[in-house]
Formats: sequence, structure tokens, C-alpha cells
Amino acid sequence: MKFNFRVSPNYRTPLSTQRIMTELTIGIALALAYTVYFYFTKFGSDYGVHAILMIATSLGTAIGVEILWALFYKKNIWRHLNTSFPWVTALLYVGMMGINKPLYVIFVGSFIAIFIGKLVFGGFGHNIFNPAGVGRAVSVLSFGGFITNKFADVITGATPNQLMEKVGWVITDPKLATEFLDQFGGLWSMATGWYAGGLGETNTLLILAIGIYLGFRKIIDWRVPVVFLGSLFAFASILALIKGMGIWYPMFHLLTGGAMFGAIFMLTDPVTSPTSIPGRIIFAFGVAFLTFIIRVKGSLPEGVIRSILFMNMMTPLIDTALDGWTFEKTKKYAMTLATVFVLGFAGATAFGVQANYIAPVVEKEPEIVINLKGEPIVVLAEGVSPSAIIVSETAEGDVTTFVVNINGYAFQSDHSDDPQPNTLEVKVNTATQTVESVSYVTFSDSANIGDKTNSDVFLSQFVGLSIVDETASVDVVSGATITSQSVVRAVRAAIAAALD
Amino acid sequence: MSFLTGPGREHLNGHKEETLHNEIVRVKPKKEVFVPLNNGSATKVDVYVNEGDKVLVGTLLARRNDHFNVPIYSPVSGVVGAKKNMMHSVLKPQEHLIIEDDGKYEKVESFKPIDYTVASREELVNFMMEAGIVGCGGAGFPSYLKYKNPVDINTLIINAVECEPYITSDYRFTKESLDDMLVGVRALLKMSTAPKAIIAIKKSKKEMCEQLEAVLKGDPSISVFKTPDVYPMGWERTLVYEYCKKRYNRLPSEIGIIVNNVTTAIAFARALQYGEGIVEKVVTFSGDGLKSPTNVRVPFGTKVSEIVAQIGGYASEDVLVIAGGPMMGKTIPTDEFVITNYSNAITILKNIKVDPMECMRCGRCNDACPAGLLPVRINNAEKMKDSDWMQKLRADQCIECGLCTYVCPSKIDVTEGVRRAKRALALRKG
Repeated sequence: MKFNFRVSPNYRTPLSTQRIMTELTIGIALALAYTVYFYFTKFGSDYGVHAILMIATSLGTAIGVEILWALFYKKNIWRHLNTSFPWVTALLYVGMMGINKPLYVIFVGSFIAIFIGKLVFGGFGHNIFNPAGVGRAVSVLSFGGFITNKFADVITGATPNQLMEKVGWVITDPKLATEFLDQFGGLWSMATGWYAGGLGETNTLLILAIGIYLGFRKIIDWRVPVVFLGSLFAFASILALIKGMGIWYPMFHLLTGGAMFGAIFMLTDPVTSPTSIPGRIIFAFGVAFLTFIIRVKGSLPEGVIRSILFMNMMTPLIDTALDGWTFEKTKKYAMTLATVFVLGFAGATAFGVQANYIAPVVEKEPEIVINLKGEPIVVLAEGVSPSAIIVSETAEGDVTTFVVNINGYAFQSDHSDDPQPNTLEVKVNTATQTVESVSYVTFSDSANIGDKTNSDVFLSQFVGLSIVDETASVDVVSGATITSQSVVRAVRAAIAAALD
Repeated sequence: MSFLTGPGREHLNGHKEETLHNEIVRVKPKKEVFVPLNNGSATKVDVYVNEGDKVLVGTLLARRNDHFNVPIYSPVSGVVGAKKNMMHSVLKPQEHLIIEDDGKYEKVESFKPIDYTVASREELVNFMMEAGIVGCGGAGFPSYLKYKNPVDINTLIINAVECEPYITSDYRFTKESLDDMLVGVRALLKMSTAPKAIIAIKKSKKEMCEQLEAVLKGDPSISVFKTPDVYPMGWERTLVYEYCKKRYNRLPSEIGIIVNNVTTAIAFARALQYGEGIVEKVVTFSGDGLKSPTNVRVPFGTKVSEIVAQIGGYASEDVLVIAGGPMMGKTIPTDEFVITNYSNAITILKNIKVDPMECMRCGRCNDACPAGLLPVRINNAEKMKDSDWMQKLRADQCIECGLCTYVCPSKIDVTEGVRRAKRALALRKG
């Protein structure tokens, strides 16, 4: 018989940190799976596969870094992974990234999340900032513009948040509001995540359902998402009342930009939030307040992650401030919370009053119309260009038709390996001594630039020009000076031939 | 405001079914009993018998002689032997008086029984002191002290909650001694000067609730108070708060309440009616380390090893022997120790390795603490050896109920950290 000694109690809940993390992982994975399904269905398998590759890259990097760390410190790899949970961070991180991110950005972000966000602080339980939040913040700041061309079309400039940012987070005109929401298929479509956004963030209703389940299972503290979402809703409602906006406005705040994802999965991270109940309430309220003012008055479109990281920093302060015997401090806790709430609502109202609708600047389409305000060039000023070759000459009554080959812009640069000349047809009336018409037969020059000269507005300038007036001139097409000049040289060659 | 301080309680899997429905089994010592010559932590005891003396069940053996007065009566009839230093359930070696059991169990009246309906309040308190009635909740606190000077007492709470997992001794003992219990409660009610008594019991024990309600019909002064099935509902402070939503500073009498354990009431009734002190105990032997968990009735002073052998033995070669329930009981690294006159359970569990990991600061211990403490913060303070911080966090208020360790998903010995802090604070004061 062996009789052992162990300090009391010798009875423990079956709930382990491992099970908490497993249930959390399943929750996040469900949100991600929905988005992968969305991309497969709406955009095709290329997009779906890219989403899966992003998730795999994030997971692989995070787990790989932890394995290397365990090897370096000679720890048991399996036990280290099983008490460090890199996959949770990896899934959270990739859940906040859009489909247009190339895989190397995900690799770097996931690495930073695990290494800088967690391991350098001493690993699981010791990190100050939410690791996934760190990864996301660094990715956005460092690689904001890095997007894959292939998948760029889906999101560029189209997340509800970024569009809202452009109008100053206020739309008072109900008609404009409806039009605005219709861009994403309305509030319902936003709630069900049927639009492009972060890989795990879009389906608000699904995340809410997962959150309710996790709350009931006591995997997360229900107070945190309830206080956060409730406060954000309240702040937005105040603004809506001040500016006369409908209920859609506070709803929009909850549905957009990872508010729900943050509420359920990020704010509830136990490691980086306060340990006492009043502490967690202040924390959640603080994130809601910062999110609201960053959205309404900040220069960045999205505030949830930044607010979480900022409040992570406040966590030790909140914990220390609330230290004590809770039975003695209950009144103080209530007073503190009341003060924080009053200040928060006053602040949010003050910021809200200042928010205003900004009429969106209509972005001009790239100019395709020809601008004739370029420098004028004189048609007969110079001699005939040696590159202008008269291919044929046919006379029909007084009108002689010249077909002229001329080297365009393609010959002047490294633009093309095998440049071809442009061919123009120039008609000259020898009786009236004027140019009858100029037109392209073939155009082989640079697209989008040189072809601006292939237009009536430019070519019709030649009609009626005297072939003996040495001061006659035409305006150059702005942005296509060299091609314009080449057309002039071709006309000049034809006139020279006609005068011969 | 449990919204701000956490619920301070938790439903536990009680494992009570293992012993709840079985009759109490009588177990006898093999040939001798070892009467501990201490009372809780007090060891100043006057012994009145000498080696070789013949004693009967109920003969006065010794009396605690400091500021409390607690007599110790012989649990068996036989011959007084030598004194022996051996392990005690307080996890320290203590002096024990050996009595050779002659197996006859001849009884002697320890004191004259009295009729509580005619005796005065003061007579009853004095009687209780003479009878050596100690609190049967586990701490062994002399009960008469609570009734000495009652002022503005409005309720007597009879605590039949029994919230520790595995333990059913109170339940079985009460069920088999209902009449005695009612006598005890009525006598205590008289002593308390309170207008009413409540018997607090978990609402999950439906059968007992119905039984009690049936026998209490027609007595408006005593009623059943059903509590939720949570731990530590049986702790005085938690129970009082559940009853009247008030907290008190040191003793519940501050807010007009006296709490006594249900087995104390039964023991008192037996003293009143038959003139016997506590000489035997009903003790739950349960846990997955035993082949057949059982409630036993034994003379106190009987060795645990002998009892285990008689009820079927161990189910494992590698066990934890716990004096009490698994939450608050101390593990004793041997089974060569005895049942005391305030024991209520021995829990024997298979020794399963616990692998703690890093604290993730989830705060479940803070939410669960029934004493309103912040165990995770106290552990941090203790690690830093910052006694000012520990004092600010009031580590001295811990009752070591064990709930913080229980709820910890990272399997950290949270209670032990708080215990160390508590000790550090006690040393600082001393």
C-alpha cells in the first residue's frame, strides 16, 4: 500500500484549460469555415483555396515557431504545445485578415503574433497584449498596401467600415443610408456575412450563436461581450439620436468590422484582461468607448483591435485598482463602475456631437478623353522625318490619298522588343491646297497612351489645314506627346509628297 | 451584489449516491481504542484515569482545561492502558490514551439526564457544557459558547446542508434519528431564545425534505429551508447569507442568528435523554479508493485501518487517505490514525497525478471564492512575498474551503498559495 500526501483540496472540476481552448478553437474554426464556404460559393474555388492556404499558413507558422521554441529550450514538444495553444492565436489572427493578403504577409503576421506577441513575454499566461491582435496590428501597419493582384478585386476599398469612414461615420439622409447599406445587400446580408471581409469576422449572427454557446458553457465570461456590445450599441444610439439617424445606425456598428468577432473571441482572452468581474466590466466598457471614438473621430477606419490592445495595456492598472476584499469593496466597485460609465457616456456624447456627414468625394475616372490643351506643334515647321515612309499614293480627281508608315512611341523607348510602325491614311486636296482627312489604318503603338491620338478630336484638327501655310499648327494630346508628334510627321511627309 | 463579486459558490458532483441509500453499518475496534487527548488544536487536557483502571462506556476520562471546558468520555468498556504518541487527523502526532476493549460495551450514565421542557435556559447551557457537546461540522468548537449570552437572536439555523462531496453521515444519521433530532432542535431553540428555527437542507435531497416537512407539520416554530445544491452551502457565512442576504463580521449572533450542525442537535438530544456524551460517531467511508463505500457507526478512537479492513478494503494500491471530505479534509500519509469525537468522514481516493500548467488569469477562482477574496491576486502577492499586498487582499479571511483549487482549469494548487499567504500574515502579526 502506498499512502500519499497532497495538499487539500483533492477534488477538481473536470473542466480543464485544454478543454476550454478546444471548445474555443472549434468556435473560431466554425466562423472561418463559413467564410471559406462563402468564397467557394460566391467567388469560385481559386478564392476558396486561397482562404484555406491562408489558414494553413497561419497555423503552420504558429505551430512551427512554438516547436522551435520548445526545441531551443529543451522542453517536451507535445506538452509545450498542449499548454501553449498556438492554434488559437493562429486562427484568431487569420480570422481578422482579408482574402486579398498574400501568403507571405500571413506568414510574417502569424510569426509576429506568436513570437513577439507571446513567447518573448514568457509564453502563454505571461503576455501583456493579445497575441493575435499584435499580429494583426503589425500586418496592417506594415503591409497595409501589400495585396495580391489576383484577389485584389474582391475587397479593395469595399469593406463597409472603410466606406463608412469616408462619410465620417454619419449618414443623416435616409435615402443615402439605404443606398449605402444596399452596397452590402442591407443589414441582413451583413449579419449573415454574405460579403467580403476578414476571414472569420463577417458572419455576425453565427459568431453571436457561438458566443452564446460558449457563454452558457462558461468557456467565456458572458459579461464581457454583453458589456462591450451593449455599450457600443448605446454610444451609437446616442449619436443616432443626436443626428436623427435610424436604428440601422447602432446595428451597423455591431455588424461591421469585427465588433462581434472581437467581442466573443478577442476581449474574452483571459490572459490579457483583468481577473476580477468589475475589472472585466471596466475593460469591456473601455474597449467599446475607444472603438466608438476611433471610428467616429479617428483617422483609421477600424478601432476594435486597437482598442483591445490599448485596454490590454491598462489591465495591470485595473487589476491593482480593484485589489482588496470584495465584500468590503462592493460599494466602491459599484461607485467606480458608475463613475466610469458616466464619464464614458459623457465622452461619447461629446465626440458624437462633433461627428458630421462628409459628402464623399466622387473619385474621377482615369482620363480617357483627349486633352487638347497640350503644347501646339507646327505642322510644317521641320523637314520630313526620315522614319516616315510613303507606302502608297493614289490620286482620285483633285484628292490624293497617301498611306504613310511612321514610327511611334514604341521606337523611342524600351517599351517593346519588336516595335511596329503605325500606318496612317492622309488625304490631300491638291486643288484647294488643304488636308482633306487623317485617319489610322493600323495602330501598333502603346495602348492607353498613344491610342489617345486615334480620335476624332485630335485627328479632325488636321482637316482643312493649308498645306502651304507654314504656321498652321495642331494641339498635342496631353500625355501622348510623342505619338502626337509622329502623326504630325506622317502628315508632313504626305504634304511634302503632294507639293512635289 | 453577486453580479460584481461573483457567485461565490459552485455546484459539485457530490458522489453521494454511493452511500446515500445504504443503512449505517456498526463497526467495532479489534481490541483497543486510542482516545486522542486533545480537542481540535488544544492539547491542555487533565486526565482523570490511571493505567490499569477499569472503565465503562461513558466514564469520564479527561477534560480540556484551558478557557474551554470539554470533557472526554470513554467510548468502550475495558482497561486503561498506556499513553501513546501517534498520528492524528489534524496531521500532527498527538498523545492518545489506549483503552483495551473488553467487547462488552457496558454503559454508565455520564451525567443525569434532564427534561429540557422543564429545565431553565441556564441549566440547559450548563448541561451542554458538562456533556461535552462539540460542534459536529468538523472543527470541534464547543457548542455551549454560542448559547451563553444570546442577545436579540431571531433565528436558529440547524445546518443539515452537508455540502462536502462524498459525505452522507449527517444525512444517514439524521434519517435514522429523526425523533432525537427534533428533541435536540427544540432544546436548542429554547436555549437560543429565538422565536423560530429553520432546518437548512439541500433541495436536491427531496426524500428527506418531504420527511422533515411531514414531521414538522403543526409546529410553526420550526420549518425546512431548502438551499441550492452548491458548495460551500454548509459554510456558516454562505448559509446565513443565503437565508437573510446579510453578512456579518465575526459571529452570526451579530445579526441575530445562531447556527448549529444537525448532528450536534442529535448528540445533545441523546445527552438530554440518556445521559450520554459523544462516545460513538457515524462516519462516511467513501471515495473511489474503497471497494465498498459505507457509513459506519464506530466508537471514537477506532483506527481507520481497522475500519477499512472490516468494510471490504482498498480498491487501489496507491491512495490518498483524507480525514474529512475531499475539499477541506487533510490527507494523512498513513491509515494508522483514529476517528475523533468530531470526525464525520474519511475519504479515500485513488492517487491520480495532477499536472498543473501556467495560470491563464481567467479569474474563475475570484468568481468562486465564497469569502469574497481574489485568490489569483493573493497567489501573485505570495509569489512576490509582498506581505502588505497580501494584507490588502485580506488573505487572512480565507477559510480554506478549497473551491479556488477546485475550479482552476489549469489545475494549480490555488488554495495552497492562499494558505501560505495566510500563514505569512499570521507570522507577521505574531
